[in-house]
Amino acid sequence: MTETTIPRGNTLPRIRPWLGIAAAASFVVASVMALFWAPTDAVQGNVYRILYVHVPLAWLAYLAFVVVFLASVGWLWTKNPLFDAIAVASAEIGVLFTGLFLVAGSIWAKPTWGVWWTWEPRLVTTAIMFVMYVGYLLLRGLSTDFSRRATRAAVFGIIAVIDVPIVHLSVLWANSLHQLPTVLRAGGAPALDSSMLLTLMVSLGAYTLIYAYLMTSRISLELARQVRLWTT
Amino acid sequence: MLDRVGARRVLLIAALAVAVLVGAVAATNLQDQAVYYLTPSEAKAQGIVIGRTVRLGGLVKTGSMSSADLRGANDFRFVITDGTVDVQIVATGAIPGLLREDAGAVVEGAFVDDGTFHATQVIAKHDEVYKAPPAGATPAHRTGFP
Repeated sequence: MTETTIPRGNTLPRIRPWLGIAAAASFVVASVMALFWAPTDAVQGNVYRILYVHVPLAWLAYLAFVVVFLASVGWLWTKNPLFDAIAVASAEIGVLFTGLFLVAGSIWAKPTWGVWWTWEPRLVTTAIMFVMYVGYLLLRGLSTDFSRRATRAAVFGIIAVIDVPIVHLSVLWANSLHQLPTVLRAGGAPALDSSMLLTLMVSLGAYTLIYAYLMTSRISLELARQVRLWTT
Repeated sequence: MLDRVGARRVLLIAALAVAVLVGAVAATNLQDQAVYYLTPSEAKAQGIVIGRTVRLGGLVKTGSMSSADLRGANDFRFVITDGTVDVQIVATGAIPGLLREDAGAVVEGAFVDDGTFHATQVIAKHDEVYKAPPAGATPAHRTGFP
């Protein structure tokens, strides 16, 4: 099947290569800045540099699951199958990013905290988030009836998003180990040097472009699958 | 092919209601009950049981930490304090490089007969502040590539 038969999102195939180039280029710039340009940290030394991977991935995972939520509402409200394609695309990328930021966090935790993993609130709520969205993807495999599958997934996608604010706020609970938010601080400027903040923002831009690139690819694929589902 | 729009909107509202409910219950209950560690004061208030495994957390008291060459020597000592109650920690096993005086730490282990706390796991806490070391200074914790 050629891309011209995709009923919606015809602009996606055109912008996709450019998104890919922009994502790759900004990733290279962000990596050079994170590894060589940003200063080392006064307490942690060079190991803190994993922040430039861990934090953008975590934020993009949050964004991905909020997009799943919005697309789920869109499907239930309008019955437009495009929303189901957006939801599954974002859920898969969100699971990938959550898995990666859990691994990055673990690699950061061992040389600083001294453990790969511990059962503290931020880590537990994040593990729950990961498992819930893996469950979301499994749920999608339980039915071949398109409409039924999309509706079930949408209900789950709406309920599961509640863990996203819980993950973010869990560090504010008493007696946790994970440090507090550095950038999104209540009533304060970001608690890092301006060159570190700039590096983090460039990294965030790079990972956002990677997310956008993966989304356009996956949505196109899903729309093509939908067409095949209805023509056979 | 597709079911009725009306039924689905009811489902949408029901799902949103469940989400809000789950969120409210989780936010109010988890905060109180999911206790990762006890402060020395909380441990004292609960009553100290010799030999029961718990996690204690607080600040490493200034001047209380054994010298660095004792790290990993199975007799590494420091005091965990919350400003009111002090607990003498005797730690075995690996000590994280980031463990510093006047910084946070969490220890896992149990109180023993002489009133000290034998930690089998020491976890160093670090805060959310990142900044370059002052000119000429080296980071407290040197890891990663040289």
